[in-house]
Amino acid sequence: MESDAEEAAAAGAPGAGRLKGSPELTVDADMREMAKTAAWSVSSCKAGNGVAALRDDNLDTYWQSDGAQPHLVSIQFQKKVQLQLVVLYVDFKLDESYTPSKISIRAGDGFHNLKEIKTVELAKPVGWVHISLSGADPLETFIHTFMLQIAILSNHLNGRDTHIRQIKIYGPRPNPVPAQPFHFTSREFMTYSTIR
Amino acid sequence: METLMVDRVHSSLRLFMHRNAIFLCERLCAQFPSETNVQLLATCYLHNNQPYAAYHILKGKKLPESRYLFATSCFRMNLLREAEETLCPVNEPNMEVPSGATGHYLLGVIYRCTGRISAAAEQFTQALTLDPLLWSAYEELCILGIAEDTDECFSESTALRLQQEHTSTPTLVKSNFANENRVLSSRVSASLRDISPKQIKQLHANNIAEVSGYPHVRPTALHVQNSSTSNVPQFDTPSPTAAQTSSIMPPPLFRNVHAYQNTISGDAPTKQKANGVNQPLRRKYMDEARLKKVSGRLFNSDSTSIPRRSERLKDTATNSNSNTSQFGGNGTGHSSGSRYEVIDEMWTDNISGTSSSVSTADGRSFEQDKAERILLQDSKLALGIRELLGLFRTLGEGFRLSCLFKCQEALEVYRKLPESQFNTGWVLCQVGKAYFELVDYLEADRYFELAHRLSPCTLDGMDIYSTVLYHLNEEMRLSYLAQELISIDRLSPQAWCAVGNCFALRKDHETALKNFQRSVQLDSRFAYAHTLCGHEYSALEDYENSIKFYRCALQVDERHYNAWYGLGVVYLRQEKFEFAEHHFRRAFQINPRSSVLMCYLGMALNSLKRNKEALEMMEKAIAADKKNPLPKYQKALILLGLQKYQEALDELERLKEIAPHESSMYALMGKIYKQLNILDKAVFCFGIALDLKPPAADLAIIKW
Repeated sequence: MESDAEEAAAAGAPGAGRLKGSPELTVDADMREMAKTAAWSVSSCKAGNGVAALRDDNLDTYWQSDGAQPHLVSIQFQKKVQLQLVVLYVDFKLDESYTPSKISIRAGDGFHNLKEIKTVELAKPVGWVHISLSGADPLETFIHTFMLQIAILSNHLNGRDTHIRQIKIYGPRPNPVPAQPFHFTSREFMTYSTIR
Repeated sequence: METLMVDRVHSSLRLFMHRNAIFLCERLCAQFPSETNVQLLATCYLHNNQPYAAYHILKGKKLPESRYLFATSCFRMNLLREAEETLCPVNEPNMEVPSGATGHYLLGVIYRCTGRISAAAEQFTQALTLDPLLWSAYEELCILGIAEDTDECFSESTALRLQQEHTSTPTLVKSNFANENRVLSSRVSASLRDISPKQIKQLHANNIAEVSGYPHVRPTALHVQNSSTSNVPQFDTPSPTAAQTSSIMPPPLFRNVHAYQNTISGDAPTKQKANGVNQPLRRKYMDEARLKKVSGRLFNSDSTSIPRRSERLKDTATNSNSNTSQFGGNGTGHSSGSRYEVIDEMWTDNISGTSSSVSTADGRSFEQDKAERILLQDSKLALGIRELLGLFRTLGEGFRLSCLFKCQEALEVYRKLPESQFNTGWVLCQVGKAYFELVDYLEADRYFELAHRLSPCTLDGMDIYSTVLYHLNEEMRLSYLAQELISIDRLSPQAWCAVGNCFALRKDHETALKNFQRSVQLDSRFAYAHTLCGHEYSALEDYENSIKFYRCALQVDERHYNAWYGLGVVYLRQEKFEFAEHHFRRAFQINPRSSVLMCYLGMALNSLKRNKEALEMMEKAIAADKKNPLPKYQKALILLGLQKYQEALDELERLKEIAPHESSMYALMGKIYKQLNILDKAVFCFGIALDLKPPAADLAIIKW
């Protein structure tokens, strides 16, 4: 799957593979978008291209920063969540020097104790860029955190400000059957597992 | 001109030319303003889906039909309080509910919508007593969970009563003496058909002009019992049995009888507005009849079996509610109350000892032929009524059982239906629903598919069908069904439920939610749509909203156990275990056969640390449905919690035979082995679990 390939590319030493972006957004079925009820904020923005453009599911609208680097997108959740994947939509062909090239992802409890967990470099990406948050260890498939921060450290062609068109954050689905240690996989179990 | 216009309006309505009807009716009302014409205009508006217009013109009218039409328009405009006020005014508690059975039904629906269940039940029962063929009333009672046995509702006595009504209504309509004889003989034949053939033979054997007056007696007695308002003197006319070849009444006596006939027919149908109208008529007939009786007495020597008839009247009057087999008591002469004493008085002076049948040659053969023809007609009617009631009995019993979730029995009852009736949309949907409740989704799928194929425009059970497909994970068929339903009727809530289920199957909960909300908008009294909304909110982890929607569903239909279940699940997730247990228990009380509910109840009990009860519940669940693997799994989980590792392992081993491809089962076994420190087996189990491809969350746990 696309996402697996991207993950494999990025799963090496941080920044080793340069991400290119894929035209389609393909995510595993057992992941879901986590940040709908989160609080989004940005370090700076140009009038008319604010933070809402990051979440409007419209690839024509974009967020444009308007300040000094690094540009920050901060996402604060209401409770500690498990996160697995960050996906950004950027387009070098349209945005050229506004396209981010080095991105750092930080996590923590709040603005005061964010710690960097991942850095990636992009190479003229067009489309969705998948950034996996998992570590090498199976125990580290997810990160548990209250807050995530995406920092744009530099842009292509040394541009000052950046354009990002869409960001999505993914985590695991909760078990549809409550109070279970494991998910059910077989048809027999799933048929009897809930009443609809 | 008025009658001409009324006639045209009626024919326009019949042929669905609503605008034409409205125009004509408006002219009619302008020219001949009367309340009946206003009622007709309101009917036209209601047919044309303009209840507000009907509301406007009927406001304040007092006649019973007007009140009923006004209440209907209020109900359609959702002005429930006004509708209720019209049907059952607070200031005048003795006012009759207009329009008999249908009025009571409407009042019952209003009570149900406003949450007064017991009052609603009362109204529905009343409606059903007044008109046993009002299926909707019985249906509502079943949905409320308190319907009586169909054998009582659709029994022999109701058959008789129905017969009476149906044969009497023609007399009401044609109240002039034009067709007295026909009426008379219809009465006769009706009564005769009440009696079993062997009793007729007995009649023959007795060679007496049988008084078939008793059917008149019986139904009137029945009606007297049913209606508290009939205070009319129950004059029973001994009617000659024209059909009896042995005896024909002479024409004068015919007329006599007919006079009383009319009076009886006037009594018989209760709660008909014609009652009031009939009263003056009746008295007139009675006087005439008395005159004729006297004259008859003067000119006829027969009055033969009259005493016998009257006695028999009394007999049958006492046996009024029992089945016809009790007929035959010949002059045992027990009186049955004052109403029949009047008859006594009337006829005692007529008593003449002769028991020979009357014979006046002239009119006899003619009467006989006509009477026979009508007897045939009415025998068909009686047979028809019995057949219909038999059909209602089966269908009603099946529906009642499936509402009480006794699905196996319901299925057996439905199978008793003749094939032509079985292969109809409604019945097949009910059968499918019964299988759905039994968690036998494959069979349910089969029946629903058949139902959909046979009658593609029945949308009623299609929401359940879409849920069945959801459970069976059939994406393609579900989306096809949804598309089809939308194309059939975009404005039906079931179609949008199907579309929502489609998206829910793909885990696109937001779109599913949107669709379910559309369904709710289309019909806010459709409980299942609310419940499905609740499920989607729950999947989106928006617990507040999901609780809200589940509660809405329960407001509409308290016996909707899915909503109780949904609330239980939400509280389980929120770790409010007491609440969860309470709600699961309520669901379980409504549907005590569902093994899934028992399983969940057990899970809640386990969370409350009431382990013994939890284990008992799991045992019950296992016993209830052998095919359900979940209770065994849960039992193993509970045993693990109690640290009874070996038993848990045994349980899981047994489970392995039933469901060999379940990753969670192996994962659990691995976990237990790890606890027991049998690490090689643990690794082995985890390996199998991984092979079965669990989702990522499990991977993390399994790989420890």
